[in-house]
Amino acid sequence: MNFFRTKKIWKAISVGLCTAMAAVVIAGCGGSAGSDAVNKGVLKVGVTNFADTLEPTENFFGWVVMRYGLGECLAKFDEKMNVQPWLAEEWKVSDDKLTWTFKIRDGVKFSNGNPLTAEAVKASIERAFAKNSRAATFFKYTSIKAEGQNLIITTDKPTPNMAGFLADPLFIIVDTTAESSRNFSKEGPICTGPYMVESFVKEKSVMKKNPNYWGGEVPFDTVEIPSIDDPNTRAMALQSGDVDMAVNIAAGDMDSFRGNSSFTIDEISSLRTVLARLNQKGILKDPKVRAALICGCDRETYNKVLLKGTFLPGKAPVPPSMDYGFDQLKDPNAYNPERAAKLLDEAGWKDTNGDGIRDKDGQPLKLDFVVYNSRAELPLYAEAVQADLKKLGFDINIKSVDYNLVDQMGIKGEYDLLISNITTANTGDPEIYLTWYWKSNFNGENPQNGSGYSNPALDAKFNALSVEFDKQKRRQLIIEIQQMIMDDGAALFLGYPQTNIIFNNALSGVKMFPSDYYWITSLIKPASK
Amino acid sequence: MKRIIGRLMQMLGTLIGVSFLTFCLTWLAPGDPVSMLLETADTVVSAELVEQTRHDLGLDQPFLVQYVNWAGGVLHGDMGMSYSAKKPVVDKLLEGFAGTLLLAVVTIIFVLIISLPLGIWSAVKRNKLPDYIVRGLSFIGVSMPSFWIGLLLLYFFGLKLRLFPIAQSEVTAAGIVLPALTLAIYMSSKYMRQVRTVILEELNHDYVVGARARGLSETTILWKHVLPNAILPLITLLGMSIGWLLGGVAVIEMVFSWPGIGNMAVRAISMRDYPLIEGFVLWIAIVYMVINLLVDMSYSWLDPRLKKEAR
Repeated sequence: MNFFRTKKIWKAISVGLCTAMAAVVIAGCGGSAGSDAVNKGVLKVGVTNFADTLEPTENFFGWVVMRYGLGECLAKFDEKMNVQPWLAEEWKVSDDKLTWTFKIRDGVKFSNGNPLTAEAVKASIERAFAKNSRAATFFKYTSIKAEGQNLIITTDKPTPNMAGFLADPLFIIVDTTAESSRNFSKEGPICTGPYMVESFVKEKSVMKKNPNYWGGEVPFDTVEIPSIDDPNTRAMALQSGDVDMAVNIAAGDMDSFRGNSSFTIDEISSLRTVLARLNQKGILKDPKVRAALICGCDRETYNKVLLKGTFLPGKAPVPPSMDYGFDQLKDPNAYNPERAAKLLDEAGWKDTNGDGIRDKDGQPLKLDFVVYNSRAELPLYAEAVQADLKKLGFDINIKSVDYNLVDQMGIKGEYDLLISNITTANTGDPEIYLTWYWKSNFNGENPQNGSGYSNPALDAKFNALSVEFDKQKRRQLIIEIQQMIMDDGAALFLGYPQTNIIFNNALSGVKMFPSDYYWITSLIKPASK
Repeated sequence: MKRIIGRLMQMLGTLIGVSFLTFCLTWLAPGDPVSMLLETADTVVSAELVEQTRHDLGLDQPFLVQYVNWAGGVLHGDMGMSYSAKKPVVDKLLEGFAGTLLLAVVTIIFVLIISLPLGIWSAVKRNKLPDYIVRGLSFIGVSMPSFWIGLLLLYFFGLKLRLFPIAQSEVTAAGIVLPALTLAIYMSSKYMRQVRTVILEELNHDYVVGARARGLSETTILWKHVLPNAILPLITLLGMSIGWLLGGVAVIEMVFSWPGIGNMAVRAISMRDYPLIEGFVLWIAIVYMVINLLVDMSYSWLDPRLKKEAR
């Protein structure tokens, strides 16, 4: 074989390879440093985007319209999820609690220059009701009127959290008169936020300054928002300066930013709770067994060690990011394996056959823990619980199912333990969440509670809460409700996920809110200015 | 002409079969598009809202009615609306199409540039050092998961050397290099071995011995006689690879934030977005059928003997 002695072939091969390398090098000419761009009036934000259009009434797309600094509501949530004025200056409710008057802020303009009037707000809210049936699950109105700058909404029944409901991105205020000449789905809606759409596709949006913004000078001329779905890539893009800030960097990548003086991390607990619902129709009917199960789980270690501190240890139904007395709530079932063992002994569960699993009347202490895997932390929690409880003589059988099945299994009660990672209060108020999971389900009137749990005293509190308007009293009721749920050992609260925004120090004013709606705001500006 | 019509009828039958099968499978699979849609945010939703949404999407109708409605729409050129994107399925497919097509073309070019010379080299230097090096490389390339290769390339060329952008999220010339290279490394690892095998096989044929006996130079033998004969089996392989690439490569698209249809398909499945899944499956079926057709046609063009046999 002497083909390769001929120089021609060698030449051909090396030319081929060189061409390939050259193509690689020539084509590569991107990658500008982030802070340069910031100083030139361009902000680049790495996110994950799930919305295919910017029509706020479709699916949950309104979330993105708000996150991108485009849309605003009548009210918004602050750091503790309290409702604060936004496009409405103030509001009040009539004595019969059925009529709400919102005073619309003066001098606000849509990005096309049209003034924001009560009439415009009315049209926008009616549009949301007409386009998405989810609107009616917040409240139902009998009339909605505009009088000067006042918007008057009359509801069919008392709606204590009206302002919180209107802070949901479904009710982003859009200029409905602009719709005749503009396709909101394709070109984005006309709103009142600091930025407006220049171009939008799911993978990348470009926003530009809204010249008519009511809240003062807008710091950036352009905001580029690439959707970077892979968490590793998102972290690298931030490190390389391809983006100036990124939302939700994964646990494994946090360390590379923690010790780095070029970046700042803003991390807070979100509105989510990870919990295991406990079915009280089987072995867990016995409160002592439930208490033993809960205090046998070392939640401190799960969250600090296993999940590297990206979750806070669980205790109560409502996460500490909201002002519902987290610190004052007393956990009757704090981690205490000795107590857990004692409780099981008292309840008559003993290991009579020496196989390491307790039993009673010939029945082993065996429980099914239903878990879905689409969120990475859930199987970790389940395995940790399984290991801890094994030491106490529980036999926990982990059943992994598709996320699609979880809802029905919860309703039908086909579990002993069922894991959930749930948003507790999108509207700033956890009433719906608490009611659904723990209010008695007589004759299927509260189908989400498939656990068989029922406590008449707690039901009375829920009934009181549903008609209570006073903010302080509501807070007190919700604290009492949480304490009762904890005292009853009605669920195992595993942890609360933290969310984060990490930003290049060329920026200032970046802040993560517990509510997932506010990412790009007019407060974000170059640090040098 | 007859053959072409026959072929087209065959394709139509296949399309109906594939779409019906997909419809059955998505219908049988556990899960419910309505709850996926309403619980994107894991919020609590009421039973009325679930029923209302189910009705709005036409999911409360019997299975066969849904299929017939859908198929009727397709015949009129309407592939329906995606549930999760709230857009026509055609629009969704077209959005990802440019990215996917471009990525496929560039990848194939890279694959040819890498694997042809190296494969030939390794064949002619059989069981010598170059052969071992190429075989070693291809072994490593095949063993490494492609997302890992992608992350490594991003780390070195994007983060450390700053040669390429990391987050593109749009179709650009600079942004295509790393994803295409990642795919090319992975695919070339297989192709190098294929090229090597095919060339070795050809080199063992009598005509090569004959050519040598006639005193032809080794270069002429390789380029004029061996390569043309080796191309045929490679074309088949290439056809299948192009089909695979045009189906979208979800992992690569994800790692490089490359807008293509692979990621879209994965998301459609997890969201149980039936119309979008159907649209995607139809697209894949058509791609494979067209490519098979082209490959068959190229055979008779490249090897006139086949044409005679067919007659």
